[in-house]
Amino acid sequence: MIILQNVTKIVRSGTEDLTILDDVSLEIPDGEFVAVTGASGSGKSTLLGLIAGLDAPSSGEILIDGANVTTMSEDELAELRSKKIGFIFQSFHLIPSLTAFENILIPMEILGLKDAKSRAEQLLSDVDLKNRGHHYPTELSGGEQQRIAIARAFANHPKILLADEPTGNLDSKNGNHIFDLMTELHDQNNVSLVLVTHDQSLANRAQRQVVLKDGRVLSDENNLQGLQD
Amino acid sequence: MNFIFNLTWREIRSSWRRLLFFFLCIAIGVGSIVALRSLIQNFSRSVGGDARALLTADFVINSSNDFSPTDVSKIEEVIGSSTIVEARNEVTETSAMARPVDKANQNFSFVELKGIEPPFPLVGNFTLSGEKPFDFKLLENKGAIVAPILLDDLNIKIGDKIRIGESEFQIRATFDEEPGGTGGFRLGARVFVSKNAFEAAGISQNRSRVRRRILYRTSDNPTDLITQLRETLKGTTITVQSYRETQERLGEQFERTENYLSLTGLLILVLGGVGVWNVARVFVEQKRKSVAVLKCLGASGNRIITVYLLQILTLGFLGSLFGVLLAQLGLWLAEWRYYDVLPAKMSYAVHFPVAWQGILLGVLISLLFSALPLLQVRNIKPRLLLHDAGGEKTRRLDWTKTIFGAISLAGLLALAVWQAGSVKVGAFFLVGLGFTSLFLYLAAVVLTILLKKIKNFGSFSVRQAINSLYRPGNQTRIILLAVGLGAFVVLAVQSLQLNLVREFDFTRNAKLPSLFFIDIQKSQIDELKQIVQMATSENVQIVPTIRARIAFVNGEPFDFENRETRQQQGIIGREFAVTYRPEMDENETLLAGKWWNGAANNIDDAQVSVEEEMSKSLGVNVGDWMTFDISGRKIQVQIANIRKLDLRNTRTAFVFVFRPGVLEAAPQTFVATVLKKLPATSRAKLQREIIDKFPNVQIFDVADIVAAVQKLVNNFVLAISFVGSFVILSGILILIGSIALTKSQRIYENAILKTLGAKRPTLAAILLAEYGLLGLLAGIIGTVFATALSFGVSRYLFDIDWEFDFTLTILGVLITTILVMTVGAIASFDVLFRKPLGILRSQ
Repeated sequence: MIILQNVTKIVRSGTEDLTILDDVSLEIPDGEFVAVTGASGSGKSTLLGLIAGLDAPSSGEILIDGANVTTMSEDELAELRSKKIGFIFQSFHLIPSLTAFENILIPMEILGLKDAKSRAEQLLSDVDLKNRGHHYPTELSGGEQQRIAIARAFANHPKILLADEPTGNLDSKNGNHIFDLMTELHDQNNVSLVLVTHDQSLANRAQRQVVLKDGRVLSDENNLQGLQD
Repeated sequence: MNFIFNLTWREIRSSWRRLLFFFLCIAIGVGSIVALRSLIQNFSRSVGGDARALLTADFVINSSNDFSPTDVSKIEEVIGSSTIVEARNEVTETSAMARPVDKANQNFSFVELKGIEPPFPLVGNFTLSGEKPFDFKLLENKGAIVAPILLDDLNIKIGDKIRIGESEFQIRATFDEEPGGTGGFRLGARVFVSKNAFEAAGISQNRSRVRRRILYRTSDNPTDLITQLRETLKGTTITVQSYRETQERLGEQFERTENYLSLTGLLILVLGGVGVWNVARVFVEQKRKSVAVLKCLGASGNRIITVYLLQILTLGFLGSLFGVLLAQLGLWLAEWRYYDVLPAKMSYAVHFPVAWQGILLGVLISLLFSALPLLQVRNIKPRLLLHDAGGEKTRRLDWTKTIFGAISLAGLLALAVWQAGSVKVGAFFLVGLGFTSLFLYLAAVVLTILLKKIKNFGSFSVRQAINSLYRPGNQTRIILLAVGLGAFVVLAVQSLQLNLVREFDFTRNAKLPSLFFIDIQKSQIDELKQIVQMATSENVQIVPTIRARIAFVNGEPFDFENRETRQQQGIIGREFAVTYRPEMDENETLLAGKWWNGAANNIDDAQVSVEEEMSKSLGVNVGDWMTFDISGRKIQVQIANIRKLDLRNTRTAFVFVFRPGVLEAAPQTFVATVLKKLPATSRAKLQREIIDKFPNVQIFDVADIVAAVQKLVNNFVLAISFVGSFVILSGILILIGSIALTKSQRIYENAILKTLGAKRPTLAAILLAEYGLLGLLAGIIGTVFATALSFGVSRYLFDIDWEFDFTLTILGVLITTILVMTVGAIASFDVLFRKPLGILRSQ
């Protein structure tokens, strides 16, 4: 369960304070698929970053399974991410000096999982890239890189998957493929999926849609289509 | 731990090319230290390692006079009561002039004559040419064994006769190795004759420039015996020398030299450290995203730092190993290049303890210089993956960084102290290096600011080149610091060499004589004056000299059992040439006391003037009493004044000058000097004439001495330039490393310029202009600082005249510019041939 209570994020821009998120409160139960949409600059990515503990809110609290993220140290946050959170970025962010296979391996090695290699191989096969494991990120297409990033995000059996416009840098064919893969893995693993997207058609396929505007929650509604899916 | 080791290995696998410069920086530094330390240790082992062989005895009794019967009986009494003395012999030594007996052969030479008696040698080897053993029979009936070079100098062969003093000697053999070795500064070739023949040659009569030594071989440690002898001989000018003390002194000297050389090595290693710091800094900058990803995936900052630290340690260790290999190659190079000037039996292998020390130093320097840049990893926030704000905000005072900075500095100080073997020298080294770097860096800052002011002038290429020097993440100041430091060291040494050589160029010093005639007897003065006057039309200056040793200072004899006094033995315990005169010389200045007025009338007026440095060594001042031993007689004098000698403007230089009326009756010889600069042939003719007429007179041709000193200076300069070239090499490595580290930006800029229509020649011109400007600035910085250092050292340390050398300055700037331009162009030339589309897409 993810709980956001009156979360505000203010950043300093030049000489002025800029409010990115303004008193946002949300609850995301385990296993739910939530799409966060909104215009550019509405605070979507910031919201996601705060949930992952990549940044700290200016005020308010974020609880993950009852643990207060906002009071954790950098290292405690790292441990939390390692155990519970998977993250997928718009621009993939694979480590360029490691092969595709090693990129998937990394989170498991950080956690100290014993069957890391066999699981990495399984994940490679799950994302249909069994034969591309020894390639470096620069040798892969955008779609392939994002599939590796998804495999990496699922490596440690996270309870929460956070995806920041994962299809934003891909063509529609590849985009759909990635989305299908994500939802498939979400269904199989029963993880909470928070998807930030511009694409309304993708957002419509989520169980719930939160719309942000100027840092505030404009609407928070269940999606009929998503629920039926 | 698995994660740390796996990631370390994977990172090394992918980043080793980028970190190659790191590896090389450490390798060159470690290589220099290991090579220099091994070289000096090998040298000391082969030269000073066996002081017993060097002394050719277990202990030696020295005197510059004949041993008086009283002295001999005292010595015999002590020796007779000892059971450990196995053998003894006596040796007499002097320098003399030698010439072929054959009248048609007009050559002559200065020789170091040694009279020996059996058993010889007591310790060590005496090997004749052709591996023949030495047989004393060869010296019987006025036979001589000579150094091979004398045959060349005099153009004679074995069997020919030479004249030394009053006697003729037949050359029976030459030698390859003499007992005690051939080291040290020698003006003449060694000639061995029998002791009896030496005495018969008349060289030792009426003069005291003969060193007499009694050598002993013992079956056990002679320390107690030496203490007893010193006690018995206290108050005489006879000294006792033991090989153990010699070994101890030599050991200390070599250790000091080794430590100073190691500091030079450390300088190169620290420069390598600057390279390491630079590489680590930019490496972390390039790894920001990877670090953020790792943090996002759950790795803690400390674990990531550990990964990079392990990577640095591995490369530091491997680089150090490679450095040891380089050191061995360097030693083989030294063997190949300097085989003839280094000792014959010297080893050229790297010593294991030295190698391990070098490796430890390399790893520690890697660690110290990369710690601060690596700490930056802590400040990388994973949020940059969402919004890259470009750079992390850091707290105003980062305590961890401050503490680590202090630890790094303390570590560096500890390394310098360790290498110098002294806290003071180590601290001076570090502070000196710090200030030099700071000044060089400030100069770089000022020059780059000035350059920015003129960036709107010049062609498109020059303007772009200047802009390139200010691109984000530029390495301009670091390159200027590193290359400037290298140019500074090499140019300072060159400038010092020019000034030193100029100083010893006697043609520039009107007061320095061209010829010295010494050991002239009173009866020979008039005739010698006449001959010299005929040849030079110069009124020759004749100065009386008396040989004296210090017996007591304020009634106390020197205690050579005391270690500190023994270390000064060479300065205060030696035999001095003293003189007497009523007036002060032009080149002398009074520092304390008064000059005398007229001759001393009675024993209470006996006075002496002491040279400044000697007064410091002796710890004496005006009013103190000194007792001199002159041919066995003790003469007590009071110090009338302390004098400063201007050695630059000197004809003769005496440490002790007596008031007239004291020494006139003492056995004395005379020195004559010729100021006129004669051509070499006239000089040789005059010398030969004097030798023929007065075989006892020794002649010093200043041109020969100048040549010998110049050779010494040149060897010294060669050695320093060799080290300086390593400094330049480190500077160039930093330059190449910096180019490699900013290459991606250069590639991107070139892609944009190409897209906008710039052709390859334009891009090449920008590249050349950029590095040309860098080289020019580094050259200017190096030359300015080198000139300042050369001036300071010449004027205040060496106390010699200093002249600005225009050619050296221009050449220094020009060569540095061309060097940096060439290295820079070669290292980044491939950038010009990249296709722009792929590069722009990947950004």
